[in-house]
This record gives sequence, structure tokens and C-alpha cells, in this order.
Amino acid sequence: MTALSTTKAKLIPSTLDWDVMWERYGITAVLLGVWAVAAVTTPNFATTDNFLNVLRQGSFVGVAAIGMTIAIISGTFDLSVGTALALVAWLTLWVGGHAGIPAALAVGVGAGVLMGIINGLLVTRVRIPAFVATLGMYYVIRGFSFIISKNAPATFRAPSFTWLGNGSVGFLPVPFIVLIVCALIGAAVLRYTAFGRYVYAQGSNSVAAMVAGVPLQSVTIMVFVVIGLFNSIAAILVGSRLYSTTPGLEPGFELRVIATVVLGGTRLSGGRGSMLGTVSAALLFATLSNVLNLLHADPFLQRVVEGLVLLVALSIEGIRQRIAERVSRTKEVPIEK
Amino acid sequence: MTRLSNVWSRLFRSYSIGLAVLIVIAVLAFLTPDFLRVDNLLNVLANASIVGIVGLGMTLAIASGMFDLSVGATAAFAGCIAMSLVPDYGILLGVIGGLIAGAVVGLSNGVIITELRVPAFIATMAMMTIVRGITLIYTDGKDLYLYGNPAYKVLTRRLFDTVPMPVIIVLALLAILSLVVTQTRFGRHVLAVGSNLPAAKRSGVRTSLVIWGVFTIVGVTAAMTGMIVSAQVLTANARLNFGLELQAIAVVVIGGTALTGGRVNLVGTLLGAVLVAAINNGLNLLNVPIFYQEVTVGVLLLAALAINVGHGFNPLTYLRRQS
Repeated sequence: MTALSTTKAKLIPSTLDWDVMWERYGITAVLLGVWAVAAVTTPNFATTDNFLNVLRQGSFVGVAAIGMTIAIISGTFDLSVGTALALVAWLTLWVGGHAGIPAALAVGVGAGVLMGIINGLLVTRVRIPAFVATLGMYYVIRGFSFIISKNAPATFRAPSFTWLGNGSVGFLPVPFIVLIVCALIGAAVLRYTAFGRYVYAQGSNSVAAMVAGVPLQSVTIMVFVVIGLFNSIAAILVGSRLYSTTPGLEPGFELRVIATVVLGGTRLSGGRGSMLGTVSAALLFATLSNVLNLLHADPFLQRVVEGLVLLVALSIEGIRQRIAERVSRTKEVPIEK
Repeated sequence: MTRLSNVWSRLFRSYSIGLAVLIVIAVLAFLTPDFLRVDNLLNVLANASIVGIVGLGMTLAIASGMFDLSVGATAAFAGCIAMSLVPDYGILLGVIGGLIAGAVVGLSNGVIITELRVPAFIATMAMMTIVRGITLIYTDGKDLYLYGNPAYKVLTRRLFDTVPMPVIIVLALLAILSLVVTQTRFGRHVLAVGSNLPAAKRSGVRTSLVIWGVFTIVGVTAAMTGMIVSAQVLTANARLNFGLELQAIAVVVIGGTALTGGRVNLVGTLLGAVLVAAINNGLNLLNVPIFYQEVTVGVLLLAALAINVGHGFNPLTYLRRQS
């Protein structure tokens, strides 16, 4: 281990270490910095209740973003998570009201995984680009959920179910515990399993990965199943938090999830990204909206700030590239799609 | 499909969307006689034009290899700006104000993409949130009304009492953009940027200017759509046109423009818009619940690409071509 790290230190010049450090821990450092500043400047931010509330609020998008992180690392992504979230939340509450909690959880997760499989098959077997396949599924799922629900809300208030979204273990909010467990599982899968290495390989260079024997199609299907799995966990938490939902729940959720993943340092071009970044980004968005609330800022301003944060975070990379180019004058980096 | 000779398969690809429109019209005419009434057909065309206008702009963006996810927000912003200007400054300045608002948002998108090097997907997604927020602040979250000021209705009025204004606007826009794409240097550069950006840059195309131009055009078309929608109901608010971005991308894809960039099919986009509008109208006439319309759009989208297999990047065929 030590031998490996010393060779690495020799091979890579010291300037690049900062790049790697920034990419891996930048957003986490920003989060800690924002917490420190907010604790000093914003009254009531640093109270236990409020801070735990921030952790809880950030967890819902965070859990969904775990699956999306794996997808974006593998070079694909899913626009149908928003309508899938609404459908799974509705189904879980409806089944819960009719058949109890175990059935509700099973149906919720089952529906999420099933939609993942359909997305995966559309992308791999029918060979529709992921952007359009999941956009099509976005409409199909939304229409389907309005049809089966007839746009009526589903409600399920059993205390042991609403505990999932609203309860705490000791002092930690349950959704936050779920987020940490999911992130650890996601990170472990990426780091220690063959599937995880395939995900990185496919995202970095799919042609090279195929030549090296990575089963691209199975990996892609699996990636969409993983999204479906984590997304349905998020949906169950949201459903439990609200205990009454309609299929019109959370419009624009898919873009918030993607924004979180990207803010966390995962590249849309694939091949790079981490769970730590995604979790930090989810908490950062929750922190910002909480701080703006505490400061009695115009609620409309929150949206502007959210967008600006995303732009600033992603411009840093681009501006650094430009400076590097001006220095070297040889490297040319194409604009990403 | 590969069994067909090259010419036939190309013909099929170019006209499959037109064929689909004809089949849908025939089926709907058979199912409900009301569909073929002139009034109803004009309605279909008007609805198709509204998405079609922004769809034409989006076609250029996709041809240049990018997306614009901010068009819904831009449309709402321009609609609100125009609606707030009309009472004091009149219809002409109101519309010009709306168009400028759209152009400013579009140009900002372009500048963020080229100068700050933010990927178009993320840049326009962030702009979507920002512009919606700015519109909410501008309108104070309230609705803007224009009761008793029918001048603004000029955007939806029927010319000679028959042809709806949006149809005329979309046809004019189609003519202009077709000329731009086929006859001007800018048009060729858009396609060059879409097929291979680094190569275009090396061959001396000023790619940044091209991208600014494309996104400005997208912003202006989004503004047109936004103003027409708000003129229809004489109301504008910050939630107007929610989800327009995905609808616009859907009609472009259904119309046959490849997501990989470098190719453009403006007529296809309009036919895609007509297809979606005709099916939605038919389902309305048949008293099918409105939710089924969403399923239809989704299935159409999947079908459009399932037919044109090979649009997506597939490493297997790529390798085969290489060896």
C-alpha cells in the first residue's frame, strides 16, 4: 500500500494533487464551510432541531441521487425518476391502506425495479438513446399513474409507516440514516464489486470497455434497475413523510436529482464521480434553502440562488480549464454536450 | 429495414413521419367524423404551431449537438414581460419586449456554455430554475391579466377569419430557418458544430459565435410560443408552459432529427408537432380521459426511435465500421 502511494506521488506532479483533492472533497469542504458561516451569521441555524431538520430535508433527493450517481458515472441517465417517484409513492400509500405495510413496501420497490428494467431494455434491446427512452417513459409513467389513480390522492397514516419519513432513531432522522446506509452501499458497490468497476469502465470509454469484455448491455440494464431501486426507496420516504400524495407529486424532481449529482462533482460525460460528493451536494441544497428561509428571504429568490449555485459550481471547472489552456496553449478541451 | 435498398430506406426514413400523420388522420376521420371539420382541423394546426414554433428553435439546438432545457421558463418569462408592457406601451412594444427578453435569456445560455464551459444540459437546466425564479419575483407570484384589452389577441386571431395566426407565424419561421440552414454560412456552421465541434473549430469556424446565435434563436422562438400561449388566455404567470422543454424535444425527436447532432429536419419537427396535436385532439373528440394523451406522447416518442434504430451510439456497429 505504501509503495503504491509513493510511486503515485512521484508520477503525478504536486499541482495535480490539488485538482484531485478538489474533485473528490471540494463540495464537501464547501458544505462544511457553508455550515460554519451559517452557524455564525444566521440566527437559529445552529440549533439541534434546525440542523437535524436540514439533514432530513436533504435526504429525500439524496437517496434518489445515489442511483442517479451510478447511472451518470456509467455514462447514461434517467429522466423518468420524477414521475416514477410520484407513481411509487402513490402505489405504496394505496397498497398500504389496503394490504398493510409489508405489501406496500414490496409493491413500491417492485414497481420501481420494474420500471428500471423497462428503461434498461428500451436502451439496450430497442437501442433508443437513454435521453429519449427515459423521456418517453416519463410521459408513459405519468399518464399511467393518472389513469390508475383517477387523480385521486392516496392516504396511509399508520404510525409505524409515517415513522419512516418523520421519525428519528435516537436523535438522527430516519431518512438521514437511510441516506447514509444507501450511500455506503452505493460506494461499496462502486468500489468493491465487478459491477462497480464495469460502471466506471463503461462511463470512461464504452468502446474500450466492450473490447475489454465488459458486458455493456447487462451493465446498462443493471444500472437502470439500481436507479429504480434507490428511487423507490426515496419515493417510499417521501410518501411516508407526506402520508397523502397524488400522482402530480414533485414536478421537476428528475432535474433536481440530476442537479444534485452534478453539483456533487460527477461528470455528465461519465467515468468520474463519488457518493460523498452526491450526499454533500444534497445536503448543500437543503442547507441553502433552510438558511434563506431563516433569513426570511423572498421564497422566489431561493430558486434563483439554487440555479446560480449550480452555475458557479460548474463554471469553476471551465474557468480553470481556460486558465490552464492559456498557460499551455496546446491542450484543447472540447465543449461537452 | 436493412433489406430495403438504400434509396428506399432513405425515402422511408424521410417520409415515415409524413406517412404516420396521414395514417393517424385517416384513422381519426374514420373513428370520429367531427375530426375532419375545417374548424377542428384549423384548431389542430393552431395547437401544433404553438409547440412547433419552439420546436423549430429546438431543432437547431439539437442539430448543433446541444439541448435547451430552459425554453419553458423562457416562454413564461417572455409572456409575462409582454403582458406587463402591453397596457402602457401598446402591443408592438410589448411583443418586441417579449422577444428581447427571450433573446437575452438565449444569449446568456450561449455565453455560459462557451465562456464558462458549462455543459449545455446543465447550463440550461440551471437557467430554467433561475429564469422561473426571476419571473416569480417580477410578477410577485401573481397572475397578470389583460381583460378589456383585445389588442394582444392579434397573436391568436384568424387571418381572413380562417387561418389562425400561429399557423402563419410558424410557416414564416419555417421558411426563414430553412433558408438560414440551407443557404447561409451560419447554417452550414451550425451543422458543422453539431457533427464535430473540435473539427469545426480547427477549420476556422467561430464556434462560440455559432453557439450564441443558435441559443439566441431558441430563446426568441420560446418567447414567441410563450406570448401566443398567454395571448390565448389573456393571462400570464410564472408557471406558464411548465414542461414545454420536454414537449419541444419530443416533437423534434418524433420529427426525425437525430439527437447526435449535425443533421436537421425542420419540416419533420412540424409534422411531429402536427402528429401529437392530431392524436391529442382525436382523443379529446373520442372523450378519452386526458391522461391517455401523455401515454400517447410517450409511446410515440419510443416508437419514433424504435423505427429509426441506429440513431443512438452503439459501440458494436461502431467497431464493425472501423474494422
